[in-house]
Amino acid sequence: MDNVDTVYTDVLIVGGGPSGLAASIHLADIINKKGQNHRILLIDKGNSIGSHILSGAVIRPEVFKQLLPDVDFNEIPFNAKVTKDATVLLSENGSFQLPFPVPYMSNKGNYIASLGQICRYLAKKAEEKGVEIYPGFSISDLLYKDGKVIGAKTIDTGVDHHGNPMENFQPGTRIEAKLTILAEGTRGSLTKKLINQYKLDKGKNAQVYSLGVKELWSVPEGNIQPGEIYHTMGYPLNLKEFGGGFIYGLNDNKVAVGLVVGLDYEDPTFDTHNAFQVWKTTPFVSKFLKGGRLVEYGAKTLPEGGWYSLPKLYTDNVMIVGDSAGMIAMPALKGVHLAITSGMLAAETAAQALDKNDFSEKSLSVYDSLIKDSLIYRDLYPTRNFRQAFAKGMIVGPLHFATQMITGGAGFFGRLKSVPDKERTKTLAEFKGKPFKERFKGKLDFDKVLTFDKPTDVYYSGTAHDEQQVPHLKINNPETFQKINIEQYGAPCQFFCSSEVYELHTDKNGHKEIRIHAENCMHCKTCDIKSPADGITWCVPNGGNGPDFQNM
Amino acid sequence: MALTIISLIKQVPLPSEMRMGEDGLMDRTKAKSIINIDCQFGLEAGLQLKKQYPDARMIVCSMGPNSFEPSLRTAISMGYDEAYLLSDRKLGGSDTYATGLAISTMLKHLGFNKDSKDPFIIFAGRQTSDGDTAHVPSQVAEAMGIPQATFVESVKADGKGNVIAKRIIEGGYQMMQLPMPCVISMTPTGIPPRKPSLSGAIKARHAKINVFGVDDVHVNTEKIGLSGSPTIVANVVNIVSERPPVTFCEGHTETELVDSLIENMKKVKSPLTKEKTETTEKKTAEKPDFPYYDDRNGARGILTWAELANGKVVRPSLELLTPARHLADQLGEDTKIITLLIGHHVDDQIPVLFEHGSDEVILVDDERLAEYLVLPFSSIFEQVIRQRRPEIALFAATTSGRELAPRIGMKTGSGVTADCTGLEIGEYVSRKEKVIYKPILFSRRPTYGESKLATILGFVMPQISTARPGTFEVPPRMEGRTGTVSEFKPQLTEEEFKVKILETVRGEGNTVNLFDADVIVSGGRGATGDNLALVKKLAEALKSQGVKAEWACSRVVVDEGYAEYARQVGQTGKTVRPKLYIAIGISGAVQHIAGMKESEKIIAIDHNPKASIFNFADFGIVGEYEDVVPELIERVNARYTFGIEAKK
Repeated sequence: MDNVDTVYTDVLIVGGGPSGLAASIHLADIINKKGQNHRILLIDKGNSIGSHILSGAVIRPEVFKQLLPDVDFNEIPFNAKVTKDATVLLSENGSFQLPFPVPYMSNKGNYIASLGQICRYLAKKAEEKGVEIYPGFSISDLLYKDGKVIGAKTIDTGVDHHGNPMENFQPGTRIEAKLTILAEGTRGSLTKKLINQYKLDKGKNAQVYSLGVKELWSVPEGNIQPGEIYHTMGYPLNLKEFGGGFIYGLNDNKVAVGLVVGLDYEDPTFDTHNAFQVWKTTPFVSKFLKGGRLVEYGAKTLPEGGWYSLPKLYTDNVMIVGDSAGMIAMPALKGVHLAITSGMLAAETAAQALDKNDFSEKSLSVYDSLIKDSLIYRDLYPTRNFRQAFAKGMIVGPLHFATQMITGGAGFFGRLKSVPDKERTKTLAEFKGKPFKERFKGKLDFDKVLTFDKPTDVYYSGTAHDEQQVPHLKINNPETFQKINIEQYGAPCQFFCSSEVYELHTDKNGHKEIRIHAENCMHCKTCDIKSPADGITWCVPNGGNGPDFQNM
Repeated sequence: MALTIISLIKQVPLPSEMRMGEDGLMDRTKAKSIINIDCQFGLEAGLQLKKQYPDARMIVCSMGPNSFEPSLRTAISMGYDEAYLLSDRKLGGSDTYATGLAISTMLKHLGFNKDSKDPFIIFAGRQTSDGDTAHVPSQVAEAMGIPQATFVESVKADGKGNVIAKRIIEGGYQMMQLPMPCVISMTPTGIPPRKPSLSGAIKARHAKINVFGVDDVHVNTEKIGLSGSPTIVANVVNIVSERPPVTFCEGHTETELVDSLIENMKKVKSPLTKEKTETTEKKTAEKPDFPYYDDRNGARGILTWAELANGKVVRPSLELLTPARHLADQLGEDTKIITLLIGHHVDDQIPVLFEHGSDEVILVDDERLAEYLVLPFSSIFEQVIRQRRPEIALFAATTSGRELAPRIGMKTGSGVTADCTGLEIGEYVSRKEKVIYKPILFSRRPTYGESKLATILGFVMPQISTARPGTFEVPPRMEGRTGTVSEFKPQLTEEEFKVKILETVRGEGNTVNLFDADVIVSGGRGATGDNLALVKKLAEALKSQGVKAEWACSRVVVDEGYAEYARQVGQTGKTVRPKLYIAIGISGAVQHIAGMKESEKIIAIDHNPKASIFNFADFGIVGEYEDVVPELIERVNARYTFGIEAKK
């Protein structure tokens, strides 16, 4: 098409989370110090920076001093310093506080924060340093030339549900970049394409994920002190399900609560959002929320495969950083410091490549050696077998993990393999355990005071999507979806989805079909990860669509 | 000869984005700002016209505080090139008259006037969501002395210096031919605004926003701002709707959903009691001892307009005679209602006007005036007003009334109050001037998306207001009542007939009587999958149970040819108040809501739980209409009639 605009940049960063922003800030610093003039474009699909960011979040602050050496540390908008840190074992009606600190989970010296707030602050810093940031634009495709990535393209807008151009059609803008840095966050849709295209996951473990659902509450004074944090284990999860809850006390009588569940569970009817609601009803959790009010809801997946699941992080003209790469340290579930570190290391690599004007795979391999010499390696390598061990359940897992601690992470079996989460789901016939609804019978009627159904929670995410566009959730093969996902598995998507996107409709003749309410989507990507037999692909919707997180 | 395309925009708070604050009240400060939706359609119309004129110069203009800049940048990112903002503290408090004046002065300063050598066209949105007046485009056109078309849905150039505009009117549409320069105000039903492109956003980031103060463009500061405006907002109160929030039906299947509906409907008897207003007005307990002041300076009488469609006076023009009579009674002293009837061979309508309350009919008969045209009609009104000096002029707030009244107000310097739901004579204490104005017209109008009721006063005669159709009853007909007929010969120039009506398409109105139905089953775009078959079937099923039921629809459905105009409910259709209104697949655009919100009970069925129709409904079913409606039909066939009595 002749009216397609092309913009040119030296470096294109896709995604304005901590890793992309750190990459842009650090690269701008190096460039400015050298007195060079290189263009850095950062594009984010949220309607503003921070609107698609969700994290616990308890953050290790040291990296911020490295990223922003010239900034007064107190200027960074952390919320509260951790003052009390406890891990609690929950049962349906009781709780037991562990008398010893869990290894790798100490939070001494860490800060609680709204990661969205932090990102807004970082974006301001980046723009001051000359980075051009454009929120509200979705990048749908990578651009290739001679088999190599040469940039990316924003989504075409003004199309109908089938993708046909309408009168207000606007072709996407081509962005030609010498170097593209993918910082899309968890399960990045371009990253996924790139990994498949160049087989960057060859010889690596499959990435595995958890789904975290979170609510922010405003509570009466005295319910919790700022800086108090609790992690819970046990109920409502059983010994085969990996995960736990968190309760973080924030300033201004706010409290962040959430439940993180490994997506390698077997029950096709398991519902993380609903499990989270049940979790809130336990006496230990509900006391923090008593008399309070829901302020925000959100959900996001976390890549937690660790060291062995990191794909190859670079190829000609491209690097991958942050959650897109899988930079989360287990079992602490901390990724912000690693995201920032990976962004900074990518920036250093980019600076060298700009100097040489060489963006080849060979030139970018510096990134790999920088990582091996960094905090990322030091954090990820000792726990490299952690998550795989816990896939075996909460009894065998800790035994494995104990041996790993003695052996420096190797355990007795060397590298443990992992299985993609979607393959772990069992069919209705195979699954022998108690289905989710029976397990929590009588607990799934939500009172809209302490507990909420999905549509209510979705309302509190502020999510919105343009009506006129191709639905961004695609059933890959309607025929096999019907046969496998619906008939054999009972449409797990209606349960695992954090935001009531998938509805299984049964008509009077008993015919079942999936209806997709794409407008509710929270961009958590669970459907892309957990649908049996590759049922669903998550694609980017129009720019500016999606949740509107304020303080997540 | 390059064309210049100018778009006028306003930045407004995004209504749906307004979040509840910590205290549970609406927090407007945190509401995001957007370009007013109608203005976005204006921007798009300009960009569509650019397809025909690829070299067109694209200008976007606004008036407001510096915080409007982001919206101007958004316009640039959509495809505009230059941006101008008129921003000055002195403009604060301007009413629509002053706003129209200021904007037109800026445009003239930029070199655009009626005698400009190079053609230009001005696009605007029909109305803003925070003001809802729809006046400014007309007033800009009048102040610049150029033609206009309002309520326009699409525009194309004919290649001969004219544009062809499709204007929405009650009952259908008109194709109009306008010479450039002209002003076009767009309804939010045409081509939806495009999303900004990244390349556009990059351009916008580096673009210069030209900011003018009033002195830069030489606006007469005596005619702007709070003190220069001919009208003021005397009072604003919250409208507290007593319709409780919607009760959503629960269930996993249609059967469960409908069971739940029936249960819910049993629980709630009559959800709608009359809307009440919560007065924050300080009681005039201590009325100061100021002298009374009669501002009318001899102006007397109430002038109304008898709008015609298919040769008959339209219902809203008859409704208008109700508040006119009420005001005349309040004013006393034998105040007369004078009705202006403009057309050709329309003498037969004179008795209709007398029998509904007009005391005098001024007839203007001219074959060139058989169809309403804003330029000659506004000119005639101006001439009549100068000769007869009425104290009040009233228009029905129809698509024509809402462009004609502001154009006249600009000529007389009066200002206009739009879309009133209450008209009273009162007295106004001016503490500044230490006088009490009496008598003065209190025009009450809903604003801010129907959440507030504002009282507007005008100080320049005549005090002009438009009245919302469907608000007032048609006065009872007094057979044989008569009055004075006078003929008026206006001075009209060729210039005033430059706009041509190429075609008027108006549906026949009276075959269906929605006003008498107890139940109205209404279908929107979301119910057209089967050409409204299920909507019609449900109405039929109710009828066969002996219920007075009719089916109706929203405007898009009429537009797309699924139904005749007579069945259209909404701002350009009918305002109905049945005992039960069942909205199926209707998203709930404000234009539609205006026509049905006073129904006794409202059931809404739509697949989108966030559809705004649910904000106005008593009972909501979230689901596909293809599933839910057949279930409802079955229940009706089994004698369930929603608690509405059957009349056999």
